[in-house]
Amino acid sequence: MIRTIGKVFLFLLLLLGAFLWMGQTITAMTGGEKKAASIVEITPEGGETIFWGKGRCFTCHSLGDQGSAVRCPNLGQFGEKFLMPIGERADERAKERSEETGEKYTATDYLVESLAVPSAYVVEGYKDEMAIVYAPPISLNLNEIKAVVAYLQSQGGELDLEAIENPSEISAKYYARISAATAAGGGDPGAGLEVFDDNCAECHKVQDEGGEIGPNLSTISLKGLKFISESILRPAKKITKGYETWVAVDTEGRRTTGLKTRDSATEVDITKANGEVVTITKTDIKEMEVDEGKSIMPEDLVEAMTVKDFQDVQAYMMMQKSESE
Amino acid sequence: MKRLFQPSAKTALGILALTALFLFGAPAYAQEANEYRQILGGDSRKLIWFLAQLHLFFAAFVLGVPLFAVIIEVVGWRKKDPKFDKLAHEFTSLLSVAYATTAALGGLLAFALFTLYPTFMGYLAGLFKDVMFMYALLFFAETFCLYLYYYGWHWMQGGKVFSKNLQWLFKGVGTAIIVFGLVFFFGGLGPEMRGDTRSFMTLLYILPPGIGFLILKDRKSVHIMIGILLNVAGTAIMQLANSWAGFMMSPAGVDQDGALTGSLWIAFENILATPIAIHRMLGNLAFGGLVAGAYAAVKFIGARTMEEKAHYDWMGYIANFVAIAALIPLPFAGYYLGREVYSTSAVMGNNMMGGDFSWTFIIQAALVGSLFIISNYYLWSGMTRIPGAQRYYGYIKWILGALIVSFAIWLTPHNLPLTGQEVGQMGGSQYHPTLKFMGLMPAKNAVVNLIILSTFFSFLLYRRGNKSDVLPISQQGRLPKIIIPLAGLAAVAMVGQYALSLLGMDPAELDLPADRAQYFHTVGYLLLAECAVAVLAVILALKDRGKLAQALYLGVTAFSVVIFLGVYGFVVMEKASPFLRNVAVSQFLQLISCLILVSAIDFFLFRDAKEIGKLQWGKMSVRSQYALLALTFIITMNMGLMGFIRSGLRGDWHIFGVMRDTSPWSYTPSNYTMTEMVSLTVLVFMLGVAFMFWLGGIAAKKGPTEEPATEKPASKAEAGADEP
Repeated sequence: MIRTIGKVFLFLLLLLGAFLWMGQTITAMTGGEKKAASIVEITPEGGETIFWGKGRCFTCHSLGDQGSAVRCPNLGQFGEKFLMPIGERADERAKERSEETGEKYTATDYLVESLAVPSAYVVEGYKDEMAIVYAPPISLNLNEIKAVVAYLQSQGGELDLEAIENPSEISAKYYARISAATAAGGGDPGAGLEVFDDNCAECHKVQDEGGEIGPNLSTISLKGLKFISESILRPAKKITKGYETWVAVDTEGRRTTGLKTRDSATEVDITKANGEVVTITKTDIKEMEVDEGKSIMPEDLVEAMTVKDFQDVQAYMMMQKSESE
Repeated sequence: MKRLFQPSAKTALGILALTALFLFGAPAYAQEANEYRQILGGDSRKLIWFLAQLHLFFAAFVLGVPLFAVIIEVVGWRKKDPKFDKLAHEFTSLLSVAYATTAALGGLLAFALFTLYPTFMGYLAGLFKDVMFMYALLFFAETFCLYLYYYGWHWMQGGKVFSKNLQWLFKGVGTAIIVFGLVFFFGGLGPEMRGDTRSFMTLLYILPPGIGFLILKDRKSVHIMIGILLNVAGTAIMQLANSWAGFMMSPAGVDQDGALTGSLWIAFENILATPIAIHRMLGNLAFGGLVAGAYAAVKFIGARTMEEKAHYDWMGYIANFVAIAALIPLPFAGYYLGREVYSTSAVMGNNMMGGDFSWTFIIQAALVGSLFIISNYYLWSGMTRIPGAQRYYGYIKWILGALIVSFAIWLTPHNLPLTGQEVGQMGGSQYHPTLKFMGLMPAKNAVVNLIILSTFFSFLLYRRGNKSDVLPISQQGRLPKIIIPLAGLAAVAMVGQYALSLLGMDPAELDLPADRAQYFHTVGYLLLAECAVAVLAVILALKDRGKLAQALYLGVTAFSVVIFLGVYGFVVMEKASPFLRNVAVSQFLQLISCLILVSAIDFFLFRDAKEIGKLQWGKMSVRSQYALLALTFIITMNMGLMGFIRSGLRGDWHIFGVMRDTSPWSYTPSNYTMTEMVSLTVLVFMLGVAFMFWLGGIAAKKGPTEEPATEKPASKAEAGADEP
């Protein structure tokens, strides 16, 4: 039996040898460890490190004959489809974008927009599937994104660090978006809008859209991330003035809980969490007071959200700075 | 063997580790700076990798074996055939030796995790402390069931049949549990949960004990019930541990700082927990079968008598059969898991199929393709022991051809890293003009289905090897008239409901313009046609045209799944790409319904058929046993490889999006490093298994000679009476 077992292990070693050979051959062809270095220097070199590392851009984009990804456009000069590298191509794309929107785009604006809102102007023949690079798991910060823009500019185009550091109105708008998202710990404001529509818009208004049961959130970012986060997790902790929860008990002992939305000489309107308005005559009210430990906003709202939903909706909230925005 | 089995000390080590886990497990949230430690300045990640993988190998074996040991025991009990009972007992004896090692390795892994990754494990233990307590309690339950199942084997043979009243009581309890299971399945009970979790829990935790109660009538059936409970406990342990692995990839119920925001159930039932559990369940079954098969193969090679050869040949055959049965649905479970990974995070999904791990998947395709080809080779070798099987040898070259072509296509990458000069030589394109199509999903889906159909076809040939005059189905009483239409109904229900959903599908659901509905309709009508063919096959089978029914249904399915949808997939990819995943689901449903209905027809087609000659168990080449060994080694490597991918997908996150890995080892290792680590764990695992089986063999030889009559080696004549 010992001899049999010896032969079996020799056979195993042969198979393991073949397996190791496969691993070694593939690694020699495709490269070794993928280290995710982080850098904040806004230079083409810094951007290159991000592009081929932490930013994971290489997962979907090749650059000329560097890399082998094909899911998204090649960013170098490659074959008949990509006659110009991205630095040069960005000028053309910016012109097209200007015609389409009526706003004056520069090559830098186009590159910034591509990273801030990838779905804004998708290259024909490709799917709208680029990840939000300033949201987890990639989570680039604004400086890292600026470095990538510098790197892309340097690919056949004119490196314009001045335009990156002192952005035009268009780029500034996108920088604000990225900053808001990173301030929220990362998150995709675009996806956050969807989460907001599904969970919050029935009661809260943002930029003239949404319900009026809860406070208007068009300037909510001015209160800071901590306030936003706590308001979602523990709505009763700090209730905005005018949105206290009232409890009215009538002479027959019935309790009505909600916002006091009208208070006339003879009647009171209580709007319940489901939007139903209950009108109670003042003479029928036995007692009526504010319940300071309770908010009509559901406490279990966040239970239905994933971590990503929560981060996204916070990022969206952090973008709400003014009514007119 | 029995004297050797003293796992209590090692089990205690496992329990001790779990206790330590709770002591260390004070709440610590993700925002705190992570702390990492080293032993002798070594690479902590590699140490954890090695220990975790080794523990998982043993655990997969320990969880996989009882699944089929109980089924084989039931077959022996129903057929009143002691051979099967002996086989089930022999499988269990392998399990009992490995159980202690699994527990000891689990303890070692827990210690290593808590000492080397204190912040991460502190957080995880703080969050999942309730689940971890349940894990420890289930561990006791599993140990208790295993002791009772193994040591009570002979004690629970025979004895009086229970009184009728008691049997009715058990039937009542069984029926109540099954009704409870059905109510639970349809959402009438329990917390809100995903459909896959609900199905998983119903099928694996509620229905089996219900059925166990229904069959309780004597001591043997009580033993089977204990086996069922052993499996329930083992599966639950696996699901609990999977919830932690799933949570690390798709955290839920916590905020970005890792604090619990909802109930623990939401964190437990995260998106990937159940898809991982389904995939692991099937993987464990295949793995358990093949490790047991390797044991049989080694015993066969070293056997000195024909009786021994006959017994271990048969054991190897059963083990391989179990493995193939689990391997066939495994690619689809993998597809489902992959789809859910994409749903969790497109970045993680892209990294899996097109990023760091795309080439790892090419290695995986080579391994899985080898598994199917070698499984077929083993079946073909097995035909040499079947008198009359020569009639079917002619088919083998065609099946082999189909397998090789499919394998080649499956292995073809979409593109390779090329230099500018190489691109120029290919006409300016990064893709090869012809081969580029072979690397795309429609081609790969088509050939995976062809590989599975070919393997199934090999099995059909094997089954009918020594059968000649068949007993017409119409003369077999009521049973085939019930079972075959039921199988047909299942096929029509599976395919038909999906056809209707495709015909009513709104393109906007997939972000497609309205005119793309035509692609949904084409596939929908194709599925309806498949339903019609299933009905026709049932009618033909009941009219004693079973072979024609099989040929028709298999042929139509092969055409539809491999050729039509294989080609049409490219059209869909071009015009309505998001719909491609629905095409893959259509292929899967057609294939599974075909396997179900054709198997049902095949069972009755050759039931009580005249045999050309008895199976000559033991008349197998030594080469075929090396094939069985190769299957075991390859599936073990593949498990290690897939573990690397699943774990590596998180990138530089311990818990995706919540807790970053800030250790010096926060990078994706190369494929070569992966093959080195996997090879090391496979080698150590196999050495451990060989050592344990060897010790078991010594104990069996020197142990008390109290084996009952059923334990005697099966005689050649007995073995020859088996059905293939």
